[in-house]
Amino acid sequence: MTATGSTPDESVPTNKGGGTALAVRNLSVAYGNVVAVHDATFTVAEGDACAIIGPNGNGKSSILMGVTGMIRRRGAVDVFGAAARNGDVRWAARHGLTLVPERRQLYPELSTADNILLGCYTWTRNIGRARRSEPFDRAIDLFPELRPHLKQLAGTLSGGQQQMVAIARGLAADPKILAVDEPCLGLAEAVAKRVYDALAKIHEQGTTLIVVEEAPRRALTLCNRRVEVRNGVAGDSVAGAA
Amino acid sequence: MSKFGNLFIAGITTGAIYAMFAVCVSVWYRVSNILNLAVGDFAMVGALGVDNLYRVKGLPLPVAIVCTLLVVAAFAYVYDQVVLRIAQDGPHRMDGIVVTFFFTFALSFFIDGVAKMLFGTDVHAAPALWNGASLSLGSLHFERAGLLVLACAVIIGGAFWVYIRFTLGGKALEASGENAVGARIVGIDTRRYRRLIFIGTAVIAAVFGIVESPITGFTYLSGATISLTGFLAAAYGGFRKPGRALLAGLFIGVLEAMLGGYVSAEYGDTVLYAILAAMVLAWPRQLGFESAVSG
Repeated sequence: MTATGSTPDESVPTNKGGGTALAVRNLSVAYGNVVAVHDATFTVAEGDACAIIGPNGNGKSSILMGVTGMIRRRGAVDVFGAAARNGDVRWAARHGLTLVPERRQLYPELSTADNILLGCYTWTRNIGRARRSEPFDRAIDLFPELRPHLKQLAGTLSGGQQQMVAIARGLAADPKILAVDEPCLGLAEAVAKRVYDALAKIHEQGTTLIVVEEAPRRALTLCNRRVEVRNGVAGDSVAGAA
Repeated sequence: MSKFGNLFIAGITTGAIYAMFAVCVSVWYRVSNILNLAVGDFAMVGALGVDNLYRVKGLPLPVAIVCTLLVVAAFAYVYDQVVLRIAQDGPHRMDGIVVTFFFTFALSFFIDGVAKMLFGTDVHAAPALWNGASLSLGSLHFERAGLLVLACAVIIGGAFWVYIRFTLGGKALEASGENAVGARIVGIDTRRYRRLIFIGTAVIAAVFGIVESPITGFTYLSGATISLTGFLAAAYGGFRKPGRALLAGLFIGVLEAMLGGYVSAEYGDTVLYAILAAMVLAWPRQLGFESAVSG
């Protein structure tokens, strides 16, 4: 068990406080008999930008899926000091940990605006409140290039635009930790750069970031910490040290 | 002209029923990816249940209606909790054609069997809710029961539309049908929506059975025909577009009435299905059939 951060106190601390945002201990994820992640232990401090890197098929995404509760896991996950419920995505989202999944997982036949708006479902059922909310505004403001497409069906957007919608939907959930899975998969270099610029801005605004990335070079321009994954085993290190 | 007008009114009335069942089928398919082939059977239970409680058991009409609807809702709840939960939420999740058709098809036969025991095999109908001779406007005649059907269709269809279009819950409902993984990420409980809409559409179907039965009369086997027409109209919207399913239902109703009135009362249905099939062959994409097949 590693303990890089200090134990946070009961009240949810403000951003950049330096407390532990996410603590993962002995996390294992298996699909049937196939073990994808074995005994991963790492922590992410508040205000960090943490890259989870490693070759394809080594369990990077499975770590995020297990941590956010999309799939069931073994081991303990603490979000701001509170023990996360296993397999409960909603719990994670309500406690500030939001996933931007691999392959975006948008709703292709809903409009761009509705896709983003549904991010607010994690904290409200009131559509008026969601539309007027600060997280929704922030999500829209971050991607001015989406503005002309807000009424367009999300399925008809380009790959880069869809990735932006997925990130914007994550932001609308008002996260304290945004976990982004392979944000640049299949995107052209220029578009990938634009996505990373947006992630950098989100980080600057005080959101803790976790980015799963196959290409370490790109991730390490942004991230100050990294977790390396090899064959389902995660090792904790500070960026630049290895 | 008055013949045309009266046929049109009759067509719109039957069309409204088809449309409502088509909407019920397609809304639930959007959420659950299961085709509800038992929706017509809930209508039959509504009609025959009210008839049984009112005429045979002698309960007051409002009590009979409320009791029937409660039984339908409770049954739909139990069915979802037991059968659909095991099929879709369990560790051995089933997918594909078996889930899409099998469970509700089996449910349809099950309800038919129980209804046969409880209500017998004769034609019955719930009592008319709005008694009196048909209303006339010039040479046009309006059946009172038909007007009630239309009113119910407008109110329920409108409520559905408002819910899906203007509430976050409605959008979440659409999202859970579009992408179950994406829905879970933002905390949408797709199982809850599946249950909610299944119970909701079962009750709506029962209401339509009660309101409509004075026009046609129901037997324990009437459900299958209704389901089939609703299913057909829903197919014209690719099972995923309630608005299109609604239009298709109205269109089929009107076409059926016109063919019966102008072409042949005997062969009207045959010609109707020939036309419907020809339309599918001519414009598969525009009518949504391609997306129904390829997902």
